[in-house]
Amino acid sequence: MLDRNIAAEVLARAVKTGGDFAEIFLEDSVRTNIALKSDRIESLGTSRMHGAGIRVFEGTKAIYVFTNDTSREGLLDCAAQAAAAVRSGSGCTPVGFSHWSAARAEEIRILPGDAAAARKAEKLRAANAAARAVSPEIVQVNCNYGDVVQDVLICNTEGVFVTDRRVRTRMRVAAVASDGKENQTGTSSPGASMGFEIFEERIDPEACGKTAAEKAVTMLHADPCPAGVFPVVIDGGFGGVIFHEACGHSLEATSVAYGVSEFSGKLGQQIAASCVTAVDDGTIPGEWGSIHIDDEGMPASRLTLIENGILVNYMIDKLGGRRMNMAPTGSGRRESYQWAPTSRMRNTYIAAGTDDEAEMIATMGTGLYAKSMGGGSVNPATGEFNFSVEEGYWVEDGKILRPVRGASLIGKGGEVLMRIDRVGKTMTMAQGMCGSASGSIPVNVGQPMIRISHMTVGGK
Amino acid sequence: MTQLDTFIEKLLKAAAEAGIDPAEVYCAERSAFSAEAMEGNIESYEVSETCALGLRGMVGGKTGYASTEAFDDEAIRMLVRGVQESAALVEAEEQDEIYAGDPDYPAMETPENDLDEVTPEEKLQFALAMEKSARAADARITKSNGSYVATGRGTLRLVNSYGLNLKTETPPGGYAVAGIWLIGKDGDSTVTGGNSEAGRKFRALDPAAIGKKAAEETTARLNASPVESGVYRAVIRRDAMKSLLRTFAGIFSAENAQKKMSLLEGREGEAIAAPCVTLMDDPLLPGGFASAAFDGEGSASRTKAVIENGVLKTLLHSRKTARKAGTESTGNAQRSVSSPVTVAPTNFFFRPGEKDLDGLLADMGEGLLITELGGLHAGANPVSGDFSLIAKGFRVKDGKQGAPVEQVTIAGNFYQLLKDIRAVGSDLEFKGSGIGSPSVDAGTIHVAGK
Repeated sequence: MLDRNIAAEVLARAVKTGGDFAEIFLEDSVRTNIALKSDRIESLGTSRMHGAGIRVFEGTKAIYVFTNDTSREGLLDCAAQAAAAVRSGSGCTPVGFSHWSAARAEEIRILPGDAAAARKAEKLRAANAAARAVSPEIVQVNCNYGDVVQDVLICNTEGVFVTDRRVRTRMRVAAVASDGKENQTGTSSPGASMGFEIFEERIDPEACGKTAAEKAVTMLHADPCPAGVFPVVIDGGFGGVIFHEACGHSLEATSVAYGVSEFSGKLGQQIAASCVTAVDDGTIPGEWGSIHIDDEGMPASRLTLIENGILVNYMIDKLGGRRMNMAPTGSGRRESYQWAPTSRMRNTYIAAGTDDEAEMIATMGTGLYAKSMGGGSVNPATGEFNFSVEEGYWVEDGKILRPVRGASLIGKGGEVLMRIDRVGKTMTMAQGMCGSASGSIPVNVGQPMIRISHMTVGGK
Repeated sequence: MTQLDTFIEKLLKAAAEAGIDPAEVYCAERSAFSAEAMEGNIESYEVSETCALGLRGMVGGKTGYASTEAFDDEAIRMLVRGVQESAALVEAEEQDEIYAGDPDYPAMETPENDLDEVTPEEKLQFALAMEKSARAADARITKSNGSYVATGRGTLRLVNSYGLNLKTETPPGGYAVAGIWLIGKDGDSTVTGGNSEAGRKFRALDPAAIGKKAAEETTARLNASPVESGVYRAVIRRDAMKSLLRTFAGIFSAENAQKKMSLLEGREGEAIAAPCVTLMDDPLLPGGFASAAFDGEGSASRTKAVIENGVLKTLLHSRKTARKAGTESTGNAQRSVSSPVTVAPTNFFFRPGEKDLDGLLADMGEGLLITELGGLHAGANPVSGDFSLIAKGFRVKDGKQGAPVEQVTIAGNFYQLLKDIRAVGSDLEFKGSGIGSPSVDAGTIHVAGK
């Protein structure tokens, strides 16, 4: 993608004014998106992203310049602009490149470009038909298919010169149920780091459509969720978003490095109930949040974050590592060349425990069973998080009584982790897009079914 | 002729030769600068220059799309092939229309601006000055969580095979945004807060004032606590109301209505809001951050009331949705380089009323002032109108702002809220966005707390 001599010339230009590290991230990616609405294929879009970002460090100050112009002149101009922002750096001598490729071609059986658009559209039609067959109350189904092949080259003044190819495929179904007066939606959006073979191995479009439609219909007939403080059981899969928001973001160097996170300075201390072990694993083959290398060129790793309640690791990128005086963990990620990388999650989950799922609900008394979660957000400085419940059920005396809608869960991360009193036996994961300082990136969240002794449930 | 002009000319020629007729190019050029200071040091510094281009065209009466950020001969082949493949697959009932253009376009004034004169060094000093002012304002401000400055300019071009060739700056005059996030501590209480300002004249922004206001917003939140769960009277402050309007703006899109994604289909002429509510969409607003002379389909921009005195006057239309509904485009087609034409508001705001925020609180007497809403991407359902959101604010007693509130949620429904609004305030604010709102007296809301 880039001649090594030009790369070396650009890096040398970037550190000419005293920068003590420089990096080039070059990207060429092609995305295909297909949308089905109102029973018809509505659009197919192909888009090519192409550009490069040059990053220069001066101690813990990071300078980032990006452009579409990846010619030698374009890159040299970017490098000069970055160098101009350095004031009084200690400088560095670029190390000779050691070239390698992180791409694993054997992982992908059918590259997105090798499957005709018509075959992809068929998957949407199948999902749409299955969703509409669930109930006459389903008035609209939006189905989306998306794939991306991202080719990257990352090189830096420490001798890294690595190329990678990232392939991902996902489908999303959003079904709307209506009784004429009210609308409710249900969604299902599975994906993986795979090509078109995903439909043979992982995604059943009919099941995906059916799941979304059933959620929408269930919620159309649900009462508003009672508001107050209650015990809450959260199911596996996307339920893992609670850990992602309540704890994950606060363990990223982005907030830990400045002492801003509520978990800053707490390595070795208990921050969660002792039944909680949590992991961030970028190495699981084919998973949505998996990476071969991070966006700083470092190989992926499996990182235990919390072991039996004790905080053992943070997620650290290169710059965060400089600020914290700790080694990076292969966690530097970014949406595209238009973003400087920072510490991010990959596949992040609460590990399987030993508790019985049926007992968890039977002994909870009165509260909420959150079967399916929506998204959420967190303020890492205070730990305040919130997320929405997509499909919830009201439980009285340990019995699931009726569906409830409009529920949201709020709390402070440090408090809610200590209140987990049950962790089930089967961990499952689900896919999401996580938005933060370096853009929107694919991540998995996951957990077994868990119980929280009490938390604030928003509703009416 | 620039290289880009040459590329566009070659591309339209290649499209015509490939049977793509009509064809249209939509191109966005951007340059941006941003920098952030933390605790007295410049920690990040970012500069960018980008250009992206999309081709939209018809083959056999069907519309196709493709886009690129590379501008070589291979890109031309890829765009032409992409549009052909796309047009061959789509089967939508209503096709896009490529528009020959209106006879006249409104003249847009470029607001006075100084963005080309201000040096990066001035911007860095500005970020440091905001921090200094905030830290000096109150000893309980223990940390800066980022003091940032961002400026940028953009140009949009729309060129099609009918000979339409439009160009505009987005937003006119560019933008400058400056703000700061802070952490405040008092005993066991840790809170965050911030403030930002936006404009076209960087040198008209005041770093000391932005920092001081940020410190005030932050320290006011110290020692906040939840209220009891229940039903409360509530005033929603301009910034929180703006975030709600942004989240639910899609219900006014005719595209969503026609696809059963909004409950407002066919309800033009009906009272859907309280009589004190007028909702404007004004692409010609002087100095507006979403101001433009033409929309994403090349229709001339015009000002309209969406809700006037509580009555729904019109939904927002593109040419495609207008044709289906038997009406005229409202000039609200929106597109990006890589996505199909959709419908979206421009400068979109509730017309301000008579009373300021203090006046609204005085009239309410007892209740809550909601100043911040979170989790809008998940806890608000733009289809049903339901929301259940984490909220912050203040107790209101005897018509005055009292002790701060946190760790509560408010729940309601946006359609119902429009009807429940008792008064609209005078404090309309945009702060760097096309969407704006004054504070509103929202009637009653459900609160989950202790």
